[in-house]
Order: sequence, then C-alpha cells, then structure tokens
Amino acid sequence: MKDLAQRACEVMAGSGVAYGDVRVREDRKETIAVKNGRPEQVTADRSAGFGVRVLVDGAWGFFASHRLEREAVEAVVGEAVEIARASARLRGEAVHLAPVSPARARYETPTAKDPFAVPLEEKLALLTGASRAMKGPNVKLAEAFSAAYEMRQCFASTEGARIEQRIVQTGGGIAATAIGGGDLQVRSYPNSFRGNFATGGWEYVEAMNLAGEAPRVAEEAEALLAAPPCPEGKRTIILDGGQLALQVHESCGHPVELDRVLGMELSYAGDSFLTTEKLGTFRYGSEQVTIAADATVPGGLGTFGFDDEGVPAQRTPIVEAGTFVGYLTSRETAPAIGRTSSGAMRASGWNRIPLVRMTNVNLEPGAAGRLEDLVADTDDGLLMMTNRSWSIDQKRLNFQFGVEMCREIRGGRLGQMYKNANYTGLTPEFWASCDAVCSAGAWRLWGTPNCGKGEPGQTARVGHGVSPARFRGVRVGVKA
Amino acid sequence: MRPDQRETRLLETAERLVRSSPADETEVLLAEGRAMLTRFSANRIHQNVGAEEAWAVVRVVAGKRIGVATASSLRAEALDAAREAALAIARASEPSADWPGLPGPQPAKAVDAWDEATAEATADRRADLAGAIIASARAKRCEAAGAVRTDDGSLVVVNSRGVAAAGSQTQATVHAVATREDGAGYAEGVSTRIGEVDAGEIGRRAALKAVRSRQPRAVEPGRYDVVLEPAAVAEWLEYLAWMAFSGKALEEGRSPLSGRMGEKVTGEAVTIWDNGLDCRTIPQAFDYEGMPKRRITLIEDGMAKAVATNYAVARRLGKWRSTGHGLPATSAGECLPLHLFLKGGRSSARRLVAEMKRGLVVTRFHYTNILDPMKTVLTGMTRDGTFLVEDGEIVAPVRNLRYTENVLEALGRMDGASRRLVLVRGPYVVPTVRIRGVQFTGTTEF
Repeated sequence: MKDLAQRACEVMAGSGVAYGDVRVREDRKETIAVKNGRPEQVTADRSAGFGVRVLVDGAWGFFASHRLEREAVEAVVGEAVEIARASARLRGEAVHLAPVSPARARYETPTAKDPFAVPLEEKLALLTGASRAMKGPNVKLAEAFSAAYEMRQCFASTEGARIEQRIVQTGGGIAATAIGGGDLQVRSYPNSFRGNFATGGWEYVEAMNLAGEAPRVAEEAEALLAAPPCPEGKRTIILDGGQLALQVHESCGHPVELDRVLGMELSYAGDSFLTTEKLGTFRYGSEQVTIAADATVPGGLGTFGFDDEGVPAQRTPIVEAGTFVGYLTSRETAPAIGRTSSGAMRASGWNRIPLVRMTNVNLEPGAAGRLEDLVADTDDGLLMMTNRSWSIDQKRLNFQFGVEMCREIRGGRLGQMYKNANYTGLTPEFWASCDAVCSAGAWRLWGTPNCGKGEPGQTARVGHGVSPARFRGVRVGVKA
Repeated sequence: MRPDQRETRLLETAERLVRSSPADETEVLLAEGRAMLTRFSANRIHQNVGAEEAWAVVRVVAGKRIGVATASSLRAEALDAAREAALAIARASEPSADWPGLPGPQPAKAVDAWDEATAEATADRRADLAGAIIASARAKRCEAAGAVRTDDGSLVVVNSRGVAAAGSQTQATVHAVATREDGAGYAEGVSTRIGEVDAGEIGRRAALKAVRSRQPRAVEPGRYDVVLEPAAVAEWLEYLAWMAFSGKALEEGRSPLSGRMGEKVTGEAVTIWDNGLDCRTIPQAFDYEGMPKRRITLIEDGMAKAVATNYAVARRLGKWRSTGHGLPATSAGECLPLHLFLKGGRSSARRLVAEMKRGLVVTRFHYTNILDPMKTVLTGMTRDGTFLVEDGEIVAPVRNLRYTENVLEALGRMDGASRRLVLVRGPYVVPTVRIRGVQFTGTTEF
C-alpha cells in the first residue's frame, strides 16, 4: 500500500498538480443474516483499489482503479489530471484549501475480539440462538443480523502526509415481524434496520444479549398487531435513544454539513436551512440543546484517527445551549466561514471522493435523570421507541418520523401501547420545544450505518450519542 | 476495448473459476466497466470523478450449504480467494432444505444496449453537456446544479449447470436543478446513447420551472387533485416494487399482494409491467443469475397478476422458471423488477392540467419513505417545482408539501394519463398522470 501511495505522490508531483492526494484502500465486510433459525445470507466482501484526487488550474479531478499495480499509477494520475483540466473549463473561483500540518501517523481501532478472527460457526450460533428465541403465533419472520467492517487505508498527499489507518466496525441486532389480519408490525433490538453498530470488535455484539432480549421483542411484535393506531393530536413526546439518534442525524447532522450549505449537494440530497449568516446567532433549539460533532469519542461508529484529507479527528461544537455555532467542514469548504477543516471528509471506498460526512454528532446529556425518571416527570404524553421510517425535506426543515412502538404516558406511568405512531414538525420549532434531556447515565452511542449522500452514491457509517429527551406540543398520529 | 472482446475475456475467466471449484454447484458473476460523473453547482463544475471497476460474486453450494463472497478484482488470486471464502462460509452454514439448485441455461434475446460514443465519452464531452445546461440556465438568469454521468460495463454470469450469459451496456444520465431566487426547477434525461440526451433542453426545462416557481405561495395541507410528472410517478413505482412486486415478499406474506393474487388491488386504469427487453428502457437481456429477462404483467387493469422472481423463489412459489428478475447472490432480497412501465392513457401532460378545476402539479418528490408496507402508505416531500392549478391554468407556484398517502389506493383514483411514456432514471418508463384527492399532510417554509 505504502509503495503504491508513494509512487502516486511522485507521479502527481511530476504532473504539475497544485495539490494531490491518494488513498490506497482495502475494505472487508462480513454480513450474516439469520431468518427463522437458519442462515439466510452469509457474505464475505473484499474491495481494494486506489483513488487519486488532484487540483489542476484551481479545479478538481479524481480517478480510481481496482488495478493495485505500480504500472497502473501513471495512467490513473493521468486520467485524474485530464478530468481536472475539463473541470477547469467550467470552474468558478479557484479552489483554495485550508491549511493542515501534513501528518505522519498510524491509527487503529481498538478491539477486544477481531470480528474477522471469530469463527463463523460461533457467530452463526449466537445469531441462530437469538432468532430461535423469537416466537409467537404471528411472528412469521424472526431475524438476527450481524455485520463487520474493516477498512485499511494508506493516505498520502503531495504536501507530505503519510497516514495509515485500520478502522474496525461491528454491529448486529434482532427483529421480529408479526403478520396477521392484513397488518405487519416489526419490533427490533437494540435498533431497527439490522441493529446497532460501533467501532470495536465482536465483543460489542456479544454484549447485546440478543438471545436474552429476543422473547420480549417477539412479545412486543405480537402485541403491536393487536394495538390500536396512535391517535392524532398535539402531544408531549419522549423519544428513546434509537429514535432520537436519527432525529439528530436528519435534522442536525445533515444541515450542518457545509458542502450542503454551499450548494454542492443541491441537485441530489439538497441544501440546508442553516445558511452561513446564521452561524453564531441562530436559535436552533432550546437551552437544553447542546450538540457537538466528535470523531474522538471511544466506540463511536464515526470515530477515526484522521479524515480522508489527513485532518486529525476532533471535537467541533455545533449547537451550544440552543445557539447554532458550528459546521462540519472540509479543507475546501472551511475557508468559506473563515475556519480550518473540522476533519469531516470521508469517502465510502477507494473509488469515491471524500465528502463532508458526519462523525459522531452527539446531543450532550442533560439533567433529567434516567428514562424512567423522565417518564415519571411527564403527566400526559407519549413515549416513542425505535425508528421505523424517516423523511425530511431538502433543506432539512419539515420532517416526519415513524416509530416501531409507542406507549401512552398518564400521570408519570406508561400505559396503552399504540402502533403506527409517527410525529412531524419543523426542525427549529421542534428543537425549541425540547424541555428535558436525560442525564449522562442514560447517554449512549448509536450507530447509523446507512447514511446516503453524493453522486455517485456513497454510504457512510456515522455515530450519534444521545440520552432520551422530551419535546412539547408535537403533532403526532399523521394518517394516510 | 470492444464489448465483445471484454465479454469473451470475462466469460473465459468465469468459466475457469467455475471449473476449478470443488463445490457441488458454483456460480460466478463478473462485471467490469467505467463509471464517470461530472457534477456541477452554482454554474461551475465542482466535482468530477471517474473509476475503472471490477466486481466478482462467487456463489458456491456444497451439500445444499450456500456461501457467497465477492472481490473487486479480476486477478486470479483475488478470484481464488473469493471462491475459498465462499467455500468456508458454505462449510460453516447449515443446509438450506428448500434449495432447488442453480438454474440451467435458458436462451436469452439479444438487446441493443451499447453505444460506442457513450462508452468513449471523455471528461471534455461531459463538460460540454454540463456547459450546455449551465448556458440554458444562465439564459434565464438561473444557476444550475446537477450531474452528467456516463457508464459502460460488461456483465457475465456462468454457472456449473451450463449457464453462460454475457452482455454489455452503456448509459448516459443527465439531471439538473435550476434555481433563481427562491424558485427551483428540475429536469432530467437518460438513454443508452449520449447523443440522444439533449442537455441544453434539459437545462431550459429546469430553468423555465425555476423562473415560474419564484415567490411560492403557501397552501393549506389537505386533499388535492394532482398531476404527477414522470419523475414523481417513477418514485411511487420504485417504492411499490420494493413493497409489493418481489416474489420473496409475496412468499413471506409481507407484500400487500400476499394472498391477493387475481384480486382487484387498485383502479382499473392501472396496468404495471416489467420488461427489460423493451428498447424504450435501458435494456438488459438477462438477470444476475443469467436467466433471460421476461416481460411480466404485475398489475393488469387494477388486478394483481404476477410478481418478479429469481429461480429459487420461483421454485418455492411452485413455478418452474424464473421471471428473470434475480438480483446478485449478495442480495438477501433475491428478486426485484428493475424495468417498470406504467400504462399511459389518451391524454397529454398539457391537457391533464387544462382539465383540472383546482389542484397541484408536482414535478418530483424528495425523500420518500415507507410508513406502512402492507397498506403501501408512503410519505415524502414535493420539490423543484410545485404549482397550483385553477380552472385549467397554472396560477401560482406553491411552497413544498408533505404527502402521506396509500399509493395503491391513490393510483386507483387516477383519472387521466398521458399517451406519451417517458424514460426516467431508475429506469422507469411512465406517463404523466392525474390523480384525484392525494392527501398532503404538512408544509414547509420554501
């Protein structure tokens, strides 16, 4: 890897580029899906190649190849330069990169049990046991999942950076699907859409106690089939960690990506309501709301040593006591707000350019105690648990989220279960209505392994630390 | 390299790998090609990328135990490693009792999906197209954002039962969002041939919408008659395919068509089919198991008629043949229709609007998602050109709206469709349609 990266830097330097970097990268992925007690899908993926990004005449060019051969380097650099020259024909202001000290470093995710070294039979046994423990007359699909990712990369730039990283991410979960009477209800643990994820090893999945939670998950799926739909109205709601993590992701994480704000994603994912003149003054939420992007938090799915421009992982304040104070940025975008890069540029593979991506965008804990304390403190409301669907407009204002399960709260106690619950609102109004966030003891990290962005499409794995929180006067129970 | 030469090389590589496999059954999918994309924003190119890529999927079956592994290289050591990884998975797995075996060979019809000019399009050619869009936008004092993409690729599928399918495809895709002040408009074009994509016209259409959608008026949520343009129609079809048209979803009882085949599931005006062989789409001769693509009618005159299958799902559903909709062996979903068509009517997009007393025109949707798969309830936002119609005339742009709607029911209220079908990204081939009483449940600030 290092030799190829060095050679690419030499060729780039000899090609007259103003700046160039190369990522030589190998990804491994193992996905396991067990359905109704039997392996449904077990796949081992490997993807390796290198991508070269150059600045020529103030414009970008990128080309990548699966041919991990020294002989391929000149042709790949040549393609990148040719592409950059075509970009320069239709460029605006020349690209200027915020400065960064070229690092020579190595970073590796700490793991107790390398997920790729754990025998497949052992992983299948854990998941099969969990799947078989989900039983019920209407539970037609009892699924258990795991996935492990390893990214090995050598980053080198014409500025002299040489960075090697090995990032390991692991996760899993279970889901019971109850089907009956023309209805379908899913209950998941610890999170929907194949579970929860973190940087770390197989120990993370073992600690989930999937088999132990399986009977409850199946019972709740059954109960949801019989439950009434969530009534319409304006209510106080409490979001559990899994749902709140996605709320942060969609309504805070994406709108603070500075490339979106500058229009670079306009035609696809959209732009942002958090335009640059709002920085430092805009009231994003209530005083309870403090949010930071932190790529250094141990175990976060968005935790790493350096981003894909060689910028060190760091913590960036985003919202402080309700006031919008910071963006996720890159070396190209940060100068637009007079700052240096926040170290948020990441690519999904060797064949993609880095984009501004979330790291771990975390809602800081408050003082409302445990989830049980917050429920007890709520006279009339709804507890909404585990995401089922999400949708938000292209400026990240109007959102609507569906959850797997909802419980009525009366007099500080949990009551009636509702199915098909959802809530909707506008981002700043919603966060302004936040009047309580649970304490540090209830704070935990959630992984979002399927964050889509960019053209060609890229999927990033990002993290969100949250503790449950309460919101007042939220519209719920939207029906077709 | 000529596509036939590349196909021959890929076939030889795949056959060698299949022959060397000790498994009872082996399937090898190899793909190779280039994907190039020029992205622009604020009337300038800001991202410009390309990649030469390869993909190998090896599926082995040993005593009905299945293993799948992939590689991103066509080198012998990478392919051998993938085969060994698949064998290791198979050895660790339990037998799949209902595994019907890999499919045997079936003759596939040839399709014309290759265009030399698209395969050889340079960065300068893509910049020319981006420039044409930007020029059209500037002519209307708009800014343009979007992408020009060209792809070329060859795909082969070989298995130990004698399947040896090979094909090549090119695709040129252009889309643009034009903006002016608080107005936005969208247009797109897609074809196997770059020469058939009129970038200037795409830019003009997007810019015209942007100009007309300035100073949008807020309208109250509620039920509106709606004219859906092709990109919006395609988005609903895409989600319907995921929810309803997979044989695996039907088999597992999680499709809204489960237990309802042969029944009326929507209005009589609705006929949806899939046909990868039709030259109006981006044609594909065979699926990812090497089975020939077949035209299947999914909904006919409102009645549920069929679902898409791969070979294993077909056999589990009691059929002998795959419909030719197998996904790569890496996909747990197994099968999906990828070339959907919606039957048109006798009208035109212009007349559909002219006949409307009061309603909305929707250019496209944004961030659609599923609320209730069994009832086909979706939610999403409108974007890039939403207009109010009164007495047959567009009278004002409106702020974007959120819809929450059962789309099978909504399609059942379709009371008009254009005769002309349009190819949009997906690929889907669809008309402009008019639907009575689509439910909008929220608004936004722009």
